[in-house]
Amino acid sequence: MLEIKNLKVSINDRDILKGLTLSIKPGEVHAIMGPNGSGKSTLANILSGKSGYKISGDLKFQGKNLEEIPIEERAQKGIFLAFQYPLEIPGVNTNNFLKTSLNTIRKARGEKEIDTLAFLKLVKEKASELGIDEKILSRQLNVGFSGGEKKKNEILQMKILDPTLTILDETDSGLDIDALKTVANGVNSSRDEKKSFLVITHYQRLLDYIKPDHVHVLSDGKIIKSGDSKLAQELEKKGYKEIN
Amino acid sequence: MTQNFEISSAEVDKIKKISKEEKNFRIKNLEVFNAKGFPNKRNEDWKFSDLKEIINKNFKSLTVNNTKSKVEKINLIKDFEHNYIFLVNGHLISSDFKFEEKNKIKINSLDKSVDIKEASDNSLVCLNRALSTEGYNLEVEKNYKFKKVLVIYNLFTKDLKNNILNNKNVTKIGENSELHVIDFTINESKNKFINNIYEDISLEKNSVFKNISIQNNESLGYFHKFSKNKIQARANYSTFVFSSGLKFNKIDMEFDLEGENSNCNLHSALFLDNESHQEIKTKMNHLVPNCKSHQIVKKVLASDAKGVYQGKIYVKDKAQKTDAYQLSKALLLNDNSEFNSKPELEIYADDVKCSHGSSSGSLDQDSIHYLMTRGLSKKDSVKLLIKGFLNEITEMIKSNSIRNFVANRLEGQIHGS
Repeated sequence: MLEIKNLKVSINDRDILKGLTLSIKPGEVHAIMGPNGSGKSTLANILSGKSGYKISGDLKFQGKNLEEIPIEERAQKGIFLAFQYPLEIPGVNTNNFLKTSLNTIRKARGEKEIDTLAFLKLVKEKASELGIDEKILSRQLNVGFSGGEKKKNEILQMKILDPTLTILDETDSGLDIDALKTVANGVNSSRDEKKSFLVITHYQRLLDYIKPDHVHVLSDGKIIKSGDSKLAQELEKKGYKEIN
Repeated sequence: MTQNFEISSAEVDKIKKISKEEKNFRIKNLEVFNAKGFPNKRNEDWKFSDLKEIINKNFKSLTVNNTKSKVEKINLIKDFEHNYIFLVNGHLISSDFKFEEKNKIKINSLDKSVDIKEASDNSLVCLNRALSTEGYNLEVEKNYKFKKVLVIYNLFTKDLKNNILNNKNVTKIGENSELHVIDFTINESKNKFINNIYEDISLEKNSVFKNISIQNNESLGYFHKFSKNKIQARANYSTFVFSSGLKFNKIDMEFDLEGENSNCNLHSALFLDNESHQEIKTKMNHLVPNCKSHQIVKKVLASDAKGVYQGKIYVKDKAQKTDAYQLSKALLLNDNSEFNSKPELEIYADDVKCSHGSSSGSLDQDSIHYLMTRGLSKKDSVKLLIKGFLNEITEMIKSNSIRNFVANRLEGQIHGS
């Protein structure tokens, strides 16, 4: 699904990722943990196609060079990034946006566009799964949403767009325990043998609810340790310093 | 007419059936125009819109148009039921008030007699006083609320070329009456022309007037409108300006809040491109206590377009408890687009709430990225952000069918850059 080999990334001559290697197979959930400034969010940004970075190394998604795939096509091919800080888009109705996004992706995949009624049914079902108040869907996208609402809205988008590779960039930060569980359930109910997840987080807390197959410790731009879910617990006890 | 656009007094001689007094008034105004010419940037009111230079650059000659062009068939708007007035090059051709009680409405061609008024500083207003013979007089009697909106189809014909049209329109809304108008400009000319309008609107006590200005299509026309609005006690005035797509457009509006507890709103959402130049200038005169005014002007500027907003709030000493608000926001899509804003407050009362703000910026790249990660192309992302920026204004329109009509027109004008 995703093959990263010796990825080096710098921005304004500052090296951030210094040779990162990671392989995610279909159906797997990987967690990347690391302290502030280790390069976690940069990795998420690179996968989403954000510009402004100097990149070297190998980056393949489903066997294709990811760097050659434009941002919107990555989404159309099934990559989804749940943003750490979802952007507020004034004047754009959340429901309309979701429908536009879904239909753009469906069209790119050669599927038929979904009509308004079917869409509303879908969105209602997914929103209720996530405990999202439908009222916020008729509001402007993320504008005036609480931190929790924004994060849940990202997961709602994931559920609706149904990606093959989901990257969760610190989706747990700023969530209370109930919201955390809801978000984790949202992710867990999407898991199957074809879909992969990359969960980026500071804390082990989220991994109590989303059980990863592999855990990696990212420090100073490199993966310094990999293991199974026990590694996360170990980290929680010892802290990043000792692992390093 | 010579190269410097001096207009011969023979044009006034062509106006038939006017008193000697009126003729003198017209000649006097024409002399003022000929002495001053088109307004230029040395005049403070025109500092961001040097019309003299613009006209010199774009016109080699100008002809005063006072012949009636052939009436073309118009396609009526099908989106909602409405009454209509049909204007061709500013001439009133026909009207249809089929949804209304006809005895409550007076509509006729502009009465040629001119109320003698003091001289104006604006040479285009002088020109209009000298030459305007066409336009409409619309009067709504007391205690009558229109059942349907009135659309004013304002058609400019194919044969216009280097013409200057001077029209005057007068609207009076009687006590306790209500009228909603859509000014719908349809342009068939592929050439340059000038339309110079003088508008006079008065709202009697307790009346309501709502107006939306919007274009059907782009135009190479150069438009100037001076609008004088008088608002009496408890009356409610609201105007929306969506007039994008004109080569040049300056709307100069003066509002006199003359009666207590009256209310005036001006809201505008514009997408300007193709080197078009658009200015909204307002003077909101709070003359009595307890009145409210609210103005928001939003402009998106692409491909070398220039947008201007000059807004002055004047509060007379006795106009206590005035609540006046003014905001302009511009979104600049390319390096050569330009936005000038000049907010002014002139306040002589001490117990008032007045605020103004102005900002301009470019599209947020992170927002574009966010939308693209959801599958939208860059072009569609930009378009969505522009629409979102302008939506704040369209969302204020209460009627669903009219709001959709406006939103669709506006969307047609928007493109990424």
